[in-house]
Amino acid sequence: MRMTGGKLYGYAGRILRVNLSKAKIVEEELKPNLLKFYLGGTGYAARILWDSLERGVDPFSPENLLIACTGPLTGTLAPCSGSVEFAFKSPLTGIFGQTRAGGSFGPRLKYAGYDFIIVEGASDKPVYLSVVDDSPEIRDASHIWGKTVHEATDILLEEVGDPQASVACIGPGGEKLIRYASIMVDYDRAAGRCGGGAVMGSKRLKAIVVDGDHDIEAAKPDEFYEAALEAIKAVGKQGRGSLGQFGTVGGLLGLNESGALPTKNFQTCYYEEAEKMSGEELARRYLLKRRACMGCPIGCGRYVWVPSGPYMTPPHEGAEYETTDMLGVQNMMGSLEPLIRASYLCNTYGIDTISAGNAIAFAIEAYEKGLITDEDTGGIRLRWGDADACLKLLKLIIERKYIGDLLAEGVKRAAEKIGRGAEDFACHGKGLEVPAHDTRGTSKSLAIQYAIGNPRGACHIEPIWSPMWDFSRSSLGLGELGLPWPPPSRFEETGVRRGEACRLLWLYGELASILGICRFSMQGGEDEILTPARLSPLVSALTGWDLSPKDLIKISDRVYTLKRCFNVREGVGRKDDRLPKRLMEPLATGPTKGQKVENLDMMLDETYEALGWDKKTGKPTREKLKELGLDDVSEVIWGG
Amino acid sequence: MLACSYRHFKVINPARSRIRVVRLPHEPVDSPIYCIQCGLCISACPFNALSRDLRTGAVKVDPEKCTGCGICVHVCPYGAVSRDPETRKALLCDLCDGDPECAKVCPEGVLLYLDPDDAAEYKRMAFSRLQRREITPLKPDAR
Repeated sequence: MRMTGGKLYGYAGRILRVNLSKAKIVEEELKPNLLKFYLGGTGYAARILWDSLERGVDPFSPENLLIACTGPLTGTLAPCSGSVEFAFKSPLTGIFGQTRAGGSFGPRLKYAGYDFIIVEGASDKPVYLSVVDDSPEIRDASHIWGKTVHEATDILLEEVGDPQASVACIGPGGEKLIRYASIMVDYDRAAGRCGGGAVMGSKRLKAIVVDGDHDIEAAKPDEFYEAALEAIKAVGKQGRGSLGQFGTVGGLLGLNESGALPTKNFQTCYYEEAEKMSGEELARRYLLKRRACMGCPIGCGRYVWVPSGPYMTPPHEGAEYETTDMLGVQNMMGSLEPLIRASYLCNTYGIDTISAGNAIAFAIEAYEKGLITDEDTGGIRLRWGDADACLKLLKLIIERKYIGDLLAEGVKRAAEKIGRGAEDFACHGKGLEVPAHDTRGTSKSLAIQYAIGNPRGACHIEPIWSPMWDFSRSSLGLGELGLPWPPPSRFEETGVRRGEACRLLWLYGELASILGICRFSMQGGEDEILTPARLSPLVSALTGWDLSPKDLIKISDRVYTLKRCFNVREGVGRKDDRLPKRLMEPLATGPTKGQKVENLDMMLDETYEALGWDKKTGKPTREKLKELGLDDVSEVIWGG
Repeated sequence: MLACSYRHFKVINPARSRIRVVRLPHEPVDSPIYCIQCGLCISACPFNALSRDLRTGAVKVDPEKCTGCGICVHVCPYGAVSRDPETRKALLCDLCDGDPECAKVCPEGVLLYLDPDDAAEYKRMAFSRLQRREITPLKPDAR
């Protein structure tokens, strides 16, 4: 990689460092030597967290940092670049936490003149951070503390006097330190996972408001524009496809037919009443409008409402696939209306729909097995398919009452406390609740991905939805970089180069959170995604640095590995790269009935080898770290 | 918005765009606000800095004459005129010299730039559709 010195193109160039304990704000320049190594986004933030956080720091202590991150592509003409990532140590998992939202917060942060906001310390009283009109300020938030996300956002937009500003805020969920509280952007766009909202709550930071009118410049304007137009055209095809027309939930019926729709707390991957909860049904009855994040030609957002009845909601963005499965299908609600209501409540109280849905399904099963009783639930009788009971339980979680107080700690902690075999059906990886894709019904790639769970625990989309390898018709533009092709059957476990494929897919996906774009611009047919061959000219013309697809993957490798090292420093190793028992057992019904995970250890061996990790300990090897230029990190995790 | 500032200034900055998208909170409305080239601002300008480009029909700003007084901003009924945060001069849609960038990049085909015959037909259809919408209001609470 060649770097031209001087001015930084594509970046705003500055970091806003906010110390809430001292009520002090300082500006810093981005460090070019670090940018060269990590490019930006969660890559740059991972280095800051590695350098700043001591091993074992309490995620709720003032020592933890919350970093709002953008990447070089954020807020530019690159498609799907309305992205913001938050990085911190997670109170849910105790390891690296990162969570992303769309909307316009990321772009507006850059227009305000900053690539990152680093929040340190904790305030004594509720505050919010205003970064508008070039005058960043910490302001009193006692009048909005306790308010819902929707109420607080309304008040803040009024207060800063800029209706187009972007607000990232927490709801009562974050204030009450629910461990999977989300940070909500522009009302309904959720940075949901890992409990970023609880970190904000622990710092008594209610919200961050951003807007500005700074320019972002490209190093080679004409080349960048040309690359961007080509990219918009390609990704725009997805807007006319299922994702644009029916949203993420448009895939629900297809997943059900292929036996990949997690149901009944992962007991099966087939739901008889899926038709009633499909994207088509949503579009027919509840959809007001498609919504896109800033700079997105796809528009997967669903602006929906339930106009009347007991599940009435105001218009809001919601009911995407993960939410629909986790809060609806898993608990077998059988109707969209209570699901939309549940999704709305999660949004406005600021908790993650995936974790909340998982926790509710876990509780129903525990109740069924007699591990929790009416006394624990405050008299609510939990059973599959009882939507009203689910909504009541959701309220208990939000209010931290009865069993809700325990479920607000996440299913890992809840299962440990309940004991008596509850661990067997507590579906989490490293403490992060498993989302709506299954290791057995979807693809064995997910078995490896959930087990390794780098960086944030069992997740379907961070770094990427790796089953896209199994399901794709083309090699995703990754053939030249060594993606094994064609893929084997999605159920085959070992000896099919699955580890190699996963590694490359993950490194490709990791680029999204480094460059500051949405992963949906990277999932789909080769002709409709930002392949490395499309990303390379975009990033190169923007920054002026000559970055080939291989260079990008190498940076990604460095970031992915550094995040693993962060987790290793916190004590994570091969012993933790496990799947919950439930996700290995044979599926009970449906087209994938009987599918199970048998050879996890062999799959891990193959994948560690591809990643350059030590098979015994699960740490990245010294050689690997040296190759990536992470010698100082190597010293910490292996000793001098 | 981003293509607009890029076309004119080679920078990405929605505050320097001549087209804005307004999203109304709690309502299903995302509205592109753009200049319809009505020309009210031309007669309002006290410095004769604005004129009609006879080739494209767009209102043009003479940056030498523009003082940044903001009167054109006041008379514009739509908020389609603003001041450039950098130069403080009038920011007005010039139809990109007859080849508007926003229409070219719009992936939804919402923004169109048509020749007069097609434009007339299109506008008649659009106007008729507006009347239809009065029967089925888009506003959620009126449904």
